[in-house]
Amino acid sequence: MDIQFIFVQLFNGLALGSFYILLSLGLTIIFGMLGVVNFAHGALYMLGAYCAYTLVQVYSGNFWIAVILSPLIVGLIGIVMEFTLLRKLYDLPHFYNLLLTFGLMIFIEELVQIIYSPMGKPFNTPKEFLGSFDLGFMLFPKYRLFILGVTTFLAVGIWLFISKTKLGAIIRAGTDDSEMVDALGIDISKIFTLVFGMGAGLAGLSGVLAAPLQNIFPYMGMGILTETFVVVIIGGMGSIFGSILGGIIVGELITMGVIFWPPLANTLIYIFMAAVLLLRPRGFFGRVKFFE
Amino acid sequence: MEESGILGFIRNRWYFILLIPLFILLPFLTPHHSLASEMLIFAIFAMGYDILFGYTGLLSFGHAIFFGVGAYSLGLILIKLQAPLLLGLLGGVFVTLVIALAVGFLSIRVRGIYFVMVTLAFCQMFYFIALKWAGFTGGDNGLHGVPRPPIFTIHLDSEIRLYYFILILFVLCLFLALRIVHSPFGRALQSLKSNEDRAKSIGFDTNHFKLISFLISAFFGALAGGLYALHLNFVPIETLNIMTSGDVVIMSIIGGIGTLYGPIFGALLLVYLKNLMSGWTEQWNFIMGILFITSVLTLRRGILVEVKQRFFHKR
Repeated sequence: MDIQFIFVQLFNGLALGSFYILLSLGLTIIFGMLGVVNFAHGALYMLGAYCAYTLVQVYSGNFWIAVILSPLIVGLIGIVMEFTLLRKLYDLPHFYNLLLTFGLMIFIEELVQIIYSPMGKPFNTPKEFLGSFDLGFMLFPKYRLFILGVTTFLAVGIWLFISKTKLGAIIRAGTDDSEMVDALGIDISKIFTLVFGMGAGLAGLSGVLAAPLQNIFPYMGMGILTETFVVVIIGGMGSIFGSILGGIIVGELITMGVIFWPPLANTLIYIFMAAVLLLRPRGFFGRVKFFE
Repeated sequence: MEESGILGFIRNRWYFILLIPLFILLPFLTPHHSLASEMLIFAIFAMGYDILFGYTGLLSFGHAIFFGVGAYSLGLILIKLQAPLLLGLLGGVFVTLVIALAVGFLSIRVRGIYFVMVTLAFCQMFYFIALKWAGFTGGDNGLHGVPRPPIFTIHLDSEIRLYYFILILFVLCLFLALRIVHSPFGRALQSLKSNEDRAKSIGFDTNHFKLISFLISAFFGALAGGLYALHLNFVPIETLNIMTSGDVVIMSIIGGIGTLYGPIFGALLLVYLKNLMSGWTEQWNFIMGILFITSVLTLRRGILVEVKQRFFHKR
């Protein structure tokens, strides 16, 4: 097997990992703040892809419009979900909210299935990104390079936002003790809504970016949701670096597994997860607090 | 005050005896006999699941593994080894318990919401294994041609006979489950649910209890799965799907967790409802989604308790 092929695959693994990074960042921020594992995260990702499909293929819009609008639409849907439903259950044990988002996942998937039919939808790679780019040592598809760029930009942006801005400081404080933040005179419920909307928007954006690379169908979110869970378990819940490292590992394991041992490709990440659970149950960057 | 122990439990609920004729006549009350079997199968599954979720407080999204593996291993034992039924049932349960031991050991290393995610991930893994190992499991098409060998000399080829066979197992399971939750061990499980740290500090090896509770619920799941394979003569791959875990969770919530009879009622109700609805509409899953949302929002103590509270205790 020649070395260039391996390099291309390594980069493909990174591009796949990008989606896991974007999804697990949203999942982790929401969890840290609200204590809710959002099972509807995969469904929101799917909604992002359908938004892009509707905007670009049906209303023959521009890909860039979809990239800007879809995360906003999905983020808004997330805000409505938080504001009307999730909010009612914060005082109860956390698993009720988790079950609520599981129900929402089924609801959203089935609604899309009724509206758009269960058949897959095609989505063309935008014209600007057709073809490959010469990196010197190998050729790499422009579109995947674009995904890597967007993910790097967003990951750095989110890290700066959380660690350097005032709002980020409130979010970090809320992760540690939201009641205390509330007692200090900050309207924490608005922050909850905002954070959920942000996470949902990130999921929507990953959906838009994934649209040209995979078949769009109503149940596309379920598989990626479980894989994102694996990312979070490996990397450690509540950590930005954990999401990034976990995302890269899972992306590479899946891509490399397909080449070297196809039958096991889908199970490799779960075996890795089992090993992490054995050796370091909290994940690479996990904090002990999040175990309860 | 309630008497403690299983005898007290039964003495306080003597009116449950009135339900016995209902269960005996059930296959004649449902649109077709086999629906009654399916109702009881899921009741066994939900009853065992309640020991883990309702009594121990561990929410697992991985119980489709045990239902599915129970179904597949019974099917494979009966098909490949042409074994007698009892051996198939025992073998299916044994294989499942070995898997449950591994999954349980890894999953209980993390707590709370992490536990949900880990069990869900393992569920997906077993689904993929069954899907990819098509030569052995039938892959996407499921495992066809599961026979129904006679039990000793009684043939089970009629749906009515199979129903009564399942009913006997259901009653045995019910006594076993009651015995477990009303034993000192059951009390220990409940103490884990209300405060794990405290249970640990007074000297309980909490992980040990959690693992045993996990295995017990896997046992019920495996038995239910095996019976499901007999009932359908076939194992669909959907048995291993995460939605099967979702089904048993929603049955428990609708019926009321931590009561044992609640999830049983929830299972009977939901399976019946599903059958009724699928005559009218193909969008059963859509209804499931709405049912899931509304029951988490409004029926958290179970439909029986909530209805009683709202209509008979008006303030």
